[in-house]
This record gives sequence, C-alpha cells and structure tokens, in this order.
Amino acid sequence: MPLADVSETYADLVTTVFSSTIAAKAWLATAALALALVQVTTAARMWGRLRFLPMRGPIVPRVHRWSGRIAFLCTLPVFFHCVTILGFRTPDTRVAVHSLVGTFFYGVFAAKVLIVRDRSLPGWALPVAGATLASTLGLLWLSSSLWYLTNVRFGF
Amino acid sequence: MRRGWRPILVGGAVVAGTFALAQAQMFEPSVPAVATVSGGDIYRGEIAFERECASCHGTGGAGGGVGPRLQGSGLDAAAVRAAVQQGRGVMPAALVSGEDEADVVAYVVSLSTP
Repeated sequence: MPLADVSETYADLVTTVFSSTIAAKAWLATAALALALVQVTTAARMWGRLRFLPMRGPIVPRVHRWSGRIAFLCTLPVFFHCVTILGFRTPDTRVAVHSLVGTFFYGVFAAKVLIVRDRSLPGWALPVAGATLASTLGLLWLSSSLWYLTNVRFGF
Repeated sequence: MRRGWRPILVGGAVVAGTFALAQAQMFEPSVPAVATVSGGDIYRGEIAFERECASCHGTGGAGGGVGPRLQGSGLDAAAVRAAVQQGRGVMPAALVSGEDEADVVAYVVSLSTP
C-alpha cells in the first residue's frame, strides 16, 4: 500500500465518527485539554493544595494516572494528522505558533514522564514539568481547536 | 553525566524526532492531478469550505442543504472555479476569492473525484 493511501484510510476511519478530520482534531484536542485540567487538579490535590475538593485517598492518584493515559491517547490521532500528514507549516502567525509549540509537545511529555519516575530530582522539577506540559497543551488548543470552533464551525 | 539531565536530553531528542517527522510529511495525501491545477492547498481549502460553503453543500460536501452534493460529483477544477467565480443558482458569485478560491477549488476537486 503506498504511504499516501494511509492518510486516506485514516480520513475514512475518522469520518465514521466525525464530520471531518479537522473536526476530529478539534474535539480530540478539547478532550485532551479537559483531561489535562483533571490532571492539574488532581496533581494539586496530591501536593496538598485545593483542600476544599472532596477527593481524598488513593482515588486521587488513580484518577491522575488514568486521566493522563486517556489524554495521551486522545492526542495520538491529532499527532498523526498534524505531524505526518500536514507537517511543519508557517503560512501565518497562528499556524506558525501551533507548529512550533506542537513540535515541543511530546518532548515536554517525555521529559515529564521521566521526571515522575526519577526520585533524585529536586521537588520543584515535577510541578514545573507538569505545568509546562499543561501550558503547552493549552497553547496548542488555543491556536487550533478554539480557533476552529469559533471561526470555522462548532460541531462534530 | 548527572542523571538530572536525562529528561532534558530525552525530551530534546523527541522534539528533534518530531520535527524530522513533520518535515518528512510521510503520509501527505496524494493529490489528484486535476486538483493541482488550481495551485491550492487542500487542507486550507477544507477550512475555507467549512466556513463558507458547508452551510449549503453540507460538511465535507456531503450535501443535505440548499446546494448539491459535491462528493463524487466528478467536477473538474475549471467547472468548480467557474461556479465559485460566477455563482450558480442561489449561490452568489465570489463567496471566496484569491488564495481562498484556489484552496477551495483544490479541496472540492479532491472531493469530486469519484
């Protein structure tokens, strides 16, 4: 199968659920962002902040881990479309910012995952890495999904 | 080397790998030869189409509104460009123009190819 046909198969697959590949990206990124907010909230709870939230006990780290895993899965089709089909583009400021920040996203993600597992690092490293990752995702969402849903079409 | 550098090095390698993949665009879709006639960009055309044309022609040109279904319609670039520039039926002329027009023509031709 020629490599180019992969994009067609991907588009056929995605459009069984969404109206277009762009709409799919917009909504999957929105889901990832919502889960990232859950990540930030549960992380803050684990670090002794946001005490007013009713969550406590082992459920908090469990929710944190699973929201992270599902958010990561949500980003994969977006990554596939943006990186392997569209590539790095700079036709205007919005797309240039999106391409640049998007290039860094999985690098920040990989660094954060390694920092979680490394107990020898200073205590500030993990919150900084987590906040950077959430901010990166937020910037990506602002420069793509929000733009699409407000300027092009709000719908699946 | 101190262990603390590991996340930064691995993260940097992933960034470099992502950039290389993005430059390669290994799954860039094959564009029907006729679509390249307009010199437009199919991806940008899809966005412009969703914004300006989908309310009548349906999302992805699937039909379902005032305008006809465009998917698999067999229209070529010249026919699409003429319809966009001059309008047709209730469709006003020049709904999109300039670069947007070329992009929309490329996108519609890619849809039209049966």
